Amino acid sequence: MEFSFLGIGILSWITFLPIVGMVIVLMMPKDQRDAIRWASLTITALQVVLAFILWQNFDKGLAGINTISGMQFVEKASWIDIKSVAWFGRVHIEYLVGIDGLSVTMVMLTALISFVATISSWNIEKSVKGYFALFLLLDTGMMGVFVSLDFFLFYVFWEVMLLPMYFLIGVWGGPRREYAAIKFFLYTLFGSVLMLLAMIALYFSVNVYIDANGSILSVAQAMAQGTEGLEKIYTFNILAMMDPGNFAPDSLLAGVNTAWRYIAYVGLFVGFAIKIPSFPFHTWLPDAHVEAPTPISVILAGVLLKMGTYGLLRISFPIFPDAMHHYAWGLALLGVISMVYGALVAMAQTDFKKLIAYSSVSHMGVVTLGMASMNTQGMTGAVFQMFNHGTITAMLFLIVGVIYDRAHTRGLNDFGGLMNQMPKYSAIMVVAFFAALGLPGLSGFVSEAFSLIGAFQTFQTLTIIAAITIVLTAGYMLWTLQRVFLGSIPEKWKNLTDVNNRELIMLVPLAVIVIFLGIYPSPVLDLMNSSMNHLAGLVQEASTAAMLGVR
Amino acid sequence: MPEQLLGDITKFLPEITLTVMFLVAICADLMFRKSPQIVAGITLTGLILSGAFVLNQSGMNESIFGNMIAVDPFAVFFKVIILMSAIFVIVFSLSSVELQTASRRLGEYYSLLGGLALGMMLMAGASNLLMMYLAIELSSVSSYILAGFTKEAPDSSEASLKYVIYGGLSSGLMLYGISIIYGLTGSLDIYEINHVLAQGSVSGSALAIAGILTLVGFGYKISAVPFHFWTPDVYEGSPITITAFLSVASKAGGFAVMIRFFKGVFIDPSATHLPEGMWASLSGFEWYHVVAAISVVTMTLGNLVALWQDNMKRLLAYSSIAHAGYMLMGVVVLSNEGLAAILVYFMVYLFMNLGAFYIVMVIANKTGSEDVEDYKGIGKRAPFLGVALTVFLISLTGLPPTAGFIGKLYLFAALLNSGWIWLAIVGALNSVISLYYYAKVLRNMYLRSEASEKKTEMIDIPRVQVATVLVLLVPVIALGLYFTPLVEMAQASVKMFGSP
Amino acid sequence: MLTEFGRVFIFLILGVVFVAGGLVFSWLIRPNRPYPSKLTTYECGEEPIGDTRVRFNIRFYVVALIFLIFDVEVVFLFPWATVFKGLGWFAFFEMMVFLVILFVGYAYVWRKGDLDWDRPTPKVPKYERGIGVREDHLMEEEVAL
Repeated sequence: MEFSFLGIGILSWITFLPIVGMVIVLMMPKDQRDAIRWASLTITALQVVLAFILWQNFDKGLAGINTISGMQFVEKASWIDIKSVAWFGRVHIEYLVGIDGLSVTMVMLTALISFVATISSWNIEKSVKGYFALFLLLDTGMMGVFVSLDFFLFYVFWEVMLLPMYFLIGVWGGPRREYAAIKFFLYTLFGSVLMLLAMIALYFSVNVYIDANGSILSVAQAMAQGTEGLEKIYTFNILAMMDPGNFAPDSLLAGVNTAWRYIAYVGLFVGFAIKIPSFPFHTWLPDAHVEAPTPISVILAGVLLKMGTYGLLRISFPIFPDAMHHYAWGLALLGVISMVYGALVAMAQTDFKKLIAYSSVSHMGVVTLGMASMNTQGMTGAVFQMFNHGTITAMLFLIVGVIYDRAHTRGLNDFGGLMNQMPKYSAIMVVAFFAALGLPGLSGFVSEAFSLIGAFQTFQTLTIIAAITIVLTAGYMLWTLQRVFLGSIPEKWKNLTDVNNRELIMLVPLAVIVIFLGIYPSPVLDLMNSSMNHLAGLVQEASTAAMLGVR
Repeated sequence: MPEQLLGDITKFLPEITLTVMFLVAICADLMFRKSPQIVAGITLTGLILSGAFVLNQSGMNESIFGNMIAVDPFAVFFKVIILMSAIFVIVFSLSSVELQTASRRLGEYYSLLGGLALGMMLMAGASNLLMMYLAIELSSVSSYILAGFTKEAPDSSEASLKYVIYGGLSSGLMLYGISIIYGLTGSLDIYEINHVLAQGSVSGSALAIAGILTLVGFGYKISAVPFHFWTPDVYEGSPITITAFLSVASKAGGFAVMIRFFKGVFIDPSATHLPEGMWASLSGFEWYHVVAAISVVTMTLGNLVALWQDNMKRLLAYSSIAHAGYMLMGVVVLSNEGLAAILVYFMVYLFMNLGAFYIVMVIANKTGSEDVEDYKGIGKRAPFLGVALTVFLISLTGLPPTAGFIGKLYLFAALLNSGWIWLAIVGALNSVISLYYYAKVLRNMYLRSEASEKKTEMIDIPRVQVATVLVLLVPVIALGLYFTPLVEMAQASVKMFGSP
Repeated sequence: MLTEFGRVFIFLILGVVFVAGGLVFSWLIRPNRPYPSKLTTYECGEEPIGDTRVRFNIRFYVVALIFLIFDVEVVFLFPWATVFKGLGWFAFFEMMVFLVILFVGYAYVWRKGDLDWDRPTPKVPKYERGIGVREDHLMEEEVAL
């Protein structure tokens, strides 16, 4: 079945629809605020519809990861094709998008969170047109990262996202927005230039053959078929980079366990770890979260952080399984430190948003630990945790947004006894909080359990330490709940109104997903199961081979 | 002999056109004192005509006037850059308010711009040390006058004087270096010098001293650290149109002559190509270490000092020093790849830097200020200019999907592919530093708003200026998304007469 | 074995020796009779007053520059004249082009007014005799004091 409209495939639509929306928004007159809002909402709603179509038609049996045949909804077009000169080979960059079990969950998450964030943006009043234009540009950047299978394309999308994010935090943010915005910008750019260098190094190390029609053949395929009429080129194709046979023997990153491979891996890792954010690189996150307006916090926590871990799974692990294995313990350690440290710091916060920001660091640590385990449970848990963290933290930030809109403060100690004042609000908040602390029956539990089970098989001591975090998380979450909802309500909050319909529309679907996936996680787990199996197998196989010194 | 010369003259048409244009412009200036637009028109026509002749030379690979001047794809590329920026600068000048203070002498201004372009075009082709020196001097003398053109402004006179003094010193040193090279090899022709050096009988240390002294002259022209001291003051004091021109075309000329010098003199012609388009260099003077050091210092210092600037012109001046540093990374490699990367970078730099300067000029026309502080609220007051400047600055930082990214990508690729990994890392980290000061401008434009009431009215800009900005803006984005033509052009232009 | 630069070096040494030798030699044989007048600038009773760096009128520089340019460029005509016969019409036209360019420059300088020696027209102050106004020479004396 072909999924295309106007000759453009579904993945391109879901990626570039926001750009179309941006152009439409830019052409609208400035004072038509509601029209702009509705236009943006329509665009993001369409994205959700497309994501739903993707989910419905996704073939769960195909693994993907390193085979183009396993990728689904693939679209391929020649983008840059510079003919070869004597001293410089042909440059061939493809527009190559496709999804597998790993990315389909992320695409769904992005569509969902963007939609919710658009609803949450309704009460933005300051230059509405600019806001939604940038918001939609950001949306394209995020979606693009999750669907690209070409490193160059991936990098372009990765960077496209920076500028809108800078402005969204910087213009519409809180009092220290300038500092937070530039800190975010500098941190991320620092990471991405290292990624750029690693990308170029990979480009010059990987050879593939291209035939007259422009299709790519790996070295092994070309050898089998004979190199008649084929041209040898360098490539940015991520899938080609995963095949060790494609590395040119004398190139910088050829071989296994070489120093340059480790360096390239670390370069990539720093780029991704800043986004996650993993422990030593996390300091931009609390600032960005606290200062960003609610919908942007939602996007930031719900989608942007996932790009780091996604990058590790999509690029670092399958391309450098040997280096990944070499640094697996360190990676797990960083994950555990992030978990424990994030939880401890969260406990000390009195600012609601900061608390959630640090809890994000802690929860993303679970993801890092899970994927470092290199087995199916751990990795599945990690990806599921990415999805769940996206929905749960988005809810938490929305909840903060709701109370901030009413009370104009986020101080945890300012509140108390909201349970009676805002019953509907409290009900949703309880769901979100219990999901965040990993209560069985809610989605957070499933993914954390998977991650820890996986991690325990590989790193027993670390996992035991990590398990302390569950107690810590329960501690600060429950304490917060107690401070805000229980007790007697201060006089000044007696007139707070409960959640309105708009807020319910954005919160309830997320709550339903959280509860549903807690009871019945299969719809999402099934999607990624075969891909994760395959990825874990690939990494393990390659790293074992590397240890034995066999190629 | 005369027949030979006559034949060569036909290959010298672009320069001859400019010379004739210069003379006509001078005469026109004498006749129509009241309307400098006529002179501007003549200069513009001359530049376009010369451009047509230059394009006609594409594919030619010859040396004319007894190896004085090379007409090769490499020179043609730089001539195109120089002519394009000259044309843009004349268009800019027509709408400059700042220049109106000296409207009586505007005729001189336009004719001298033509003369400056002529000097730079000679730099692009010069293949004899004497010719190189003369070309550099011709362009320098014109620049000195133009830098001090608005002589009513004290800054401008200071700029001009500083420029003369630094220029005099560095060209003196360069001449000294040239004379030592002449003494060592007995020739001024780069091909003959190369031939003599290849025999290996020349003292290495003397050659190194001569090379470094000559490098001073080039370094001054491209404002590489430590020969950059004139740059910020001159860029700040000069009329902004001249600043824009100097920052692009003057650097282009400087790079062209420097690359030709290094490549012509120090590359071993007898050695066959090394893999990946590298060249074997003659022993004696390890110039690439010197250039690598200069490159690192140049970009780091340019970027670090730019962090503290609060005048837009000065900020862009230091940023252009940093960009010279980036491009010097390509000179370090100096393989065909490195060269192609420099050429790609230059074409991109032309658009983004001229664009940034032009917007600064347009804003200064309206607000009368070039202070970064006065950019507060510009994003609201002039939405189009704000967005355009944002794109230019982002491109200068080197973020996709702008053309600046492609320039950096090719430079880093050339470095990584030839093993200069530490240099690539330094360059990459530098672009992170540069983000900070470019973002400072963005911050003032959008994140901060002007408190006082009177500075909130909208800034209207004429259609012509919008169109000019668009002509610069479209390539910056289009080349970022589809750079095939740019790279193909650059790859075709790396061929240099007489070099392997 | 002496290289070309070696000879230059010897020349350099000889130059230094010659100057230093002259000074030392005269110091040895001259009589030593110091008196204060010998320390004055001109040793002739003329007392120099004011800074030695006198500001010339800026017009001198302009004229000097213009003279230099045209003088030097005309020098180019001499070598041309010696080989003119061998080169024929080609050389003639080349030189004509050169002279035209030179002439345009000349016309430019003329038209721009750089050849005009426009004398300064100092405003001579006029004093009217009357009450409370002193004699001119008295005033000058006061200024000199």
